[in-house]
Amino acid sequence: MLSLDHIEQVYGRRRVLAIDALALEPGSVTALVGPNGAGKSTLLRLLACVEAPTRGTVILNGRPVRDRADRRWARRRVTLVEQRPFLFRGSVRRNLSYALSLHQVPRAQAAARVARALDRLGITALLDRPARALSEGEVQKVAIARALVLEPEIILLDEPASAADQTSAAALYRVLDEERARGAALCFASHQLEDAYRWSDRLLALTDGRTSPVTPENLFRVVIPPGGGTRVVRAGPLALTLHTDRTGPAIVALSPDDIVVSAEPLHSSARNTFPGRVRRISDDGRGGVTLVVDVGADLTVRITHAALAELGLTIGSTAVLSIKSMAVRVF
Amino acid sequence: MDFFTDGLRRGAQLILSGDPEVFGITWLSLRVALLSTIVACLVGVPLGFAVGTTRFWGRRAALTTLNTLLAFPTVVVGLVVWGLFARRGLFGGLGLLYTWVVIVVAEVVLAVPIAAALTAAAVQGVDPRVRRTALTLGAGTWRTHWAVAKEARFALLSGVVVAFGRVLAEVGAAMIVGGNIRFQTRTLTTAVALATSQGDFALAMALGLILLALALTVNVLLQLVQGRGGAGEGGGGGGA
Repeated sequence: MLSLDHIEQVYGRRRVLAIDALALEPGSVTALVGPNGAGKSTLLRLLACVEAPTRGTVILNGRPVRDRADRRWARRRVTLVEQRPFLFRGSVRRNLSYALSLHQVPRAQAAARVARALDRLGITALLDRPARALSEGEVQKVAIARALVLEPEIILLDEPASAADQTSAAALYRVLDEERARGAALCFASHQLEDAYRWSDRLLALTDGRTSPVTPENLFRVVIPPGGGTRVVRAGPLALTLHTDRTGPAIVALSPDDIVVSAEPLHSSARNTFPGRVRRISDDGRGGVTLVVDVGADLTVRITHAALAELGLTIGSTAVLSIKSMAVRVF
Repeated sequence: MDFFTDGLRRGAQLILSGDPEVFGITWLSLRVALLSTIVACLVGVPLGFAVGTTRFWGRRAALTTLNTLLAFPTVVVGLVVWGLFARRGLFGGLGLLYTWVVIVVAEVVLAVPIAAALTAAAVQGVDPRVRRTALTLGAGTWRTHWAVAKEARFALLSGVVVAFGRVLAEVGAAMIVGGNIRFQTRTLTTAVALATSQGDFALAMALGLILLALALTVNVLLQLVQGRGGAGEGGGGGGA
């Protein structure tokens, strides 16, 4: 098990990450989501023991990773595939064999492991291709194969499917799921919330280097005017009524499960009513439906299949979103 | 112009006739240049690697110092080394002044900053993902350095060639510490200077041609190596 204990990472004078606790259990998949600059890649590099944290401790299998020797020990059990992976000069085979040679895997075994890793990702044909002549998507798959061939205890991936189309992304996540089944702990960062929900056991949202208590849909940076109780703030193009004791800069979140969708404006207690158009409808991977509704800004809403059918919503339909001011979360 | 072409012709004749003094001078120059390049690289490359890849207090100052030393006047180096190896100097007891060994010492002092500064620049130019990738695949410190060095190999090789070129063509320090003694410490460059001042233009031209030929050979060899590496499947980052 890989865990973090009160980690802080500071670059120059900027604190880019502050996480009190996080644990990656064997046989689990954790998805990291959050906007650009939220600290996802930094977190993955710390977990991969490529960087040492400014403060706090990384703990692997109960052993604190403190010095260079510890990090070296940890990196033989943990591996990271970066968002723009680097392949060394030479063939794909050579790249995978090189990784195995670092782990002192005998040549006789290495060939079979290389063949199997490429086969699992459906890229056997790339075996003898020069790595520098591959497309972005192929590079990503080869880098993942190079990580899998090591059979690590913990696999960290930064946007593993960013260069893949939907079909190959699903194939890729299925391979990662097999790794989970063999007992590996996986953690991946993704911009695709649907992938994150579908392929992880647990979703961790990062905002400004901190884990945020809500999922990263419908987050807005706002400035709350002085006063108390119910106030109106500008959330991008939306005028949002909320109820809080806080003032000054804050982040507000509209949980997709707290938003009511209707065909007509409702006469209700909700202080926020936004008419808009449905832009996207997709399965949320958890038995429900995710709608993206353009109300000036894109808001994500989760409803049931039954509600979708009853409202008769399709892409382009008008819909009205209602949110109680008490349901607007401020943090 | 006739004077010039005549010098060239007679110089070529001198080389082709296998003049033992010309060949003696060439051999000494080559020996001094090769030995001092090797020693300078053994010191300068690891030094440049350390400065280029590790973060430490004063790193920027170290880089500035190295870059400044690139332009260090050769006669000043000659003067300092002469002072150290002169009879009353720190190493005077060794009795090495006016031997080819002390020329090597002076050339090493000149070439170390070149090897170090160009190595630092070469490894700083390597994609930072190379190091991270080697680390995430489980490489230790040395294998990681090796992966970085392999990615920077052409730039590193260029640094070696520049250092070799510098010591081969250097005249001031070699003249001061070697004394330009016939059959002992006379190198191609000091011999050219002397022959020219004595009016022996043919000898000067012959030695100049040899210097050019040596420089050309080294550069052609470098290009051959680069060409082979560039087109080839030269192998993974750390080498299995």
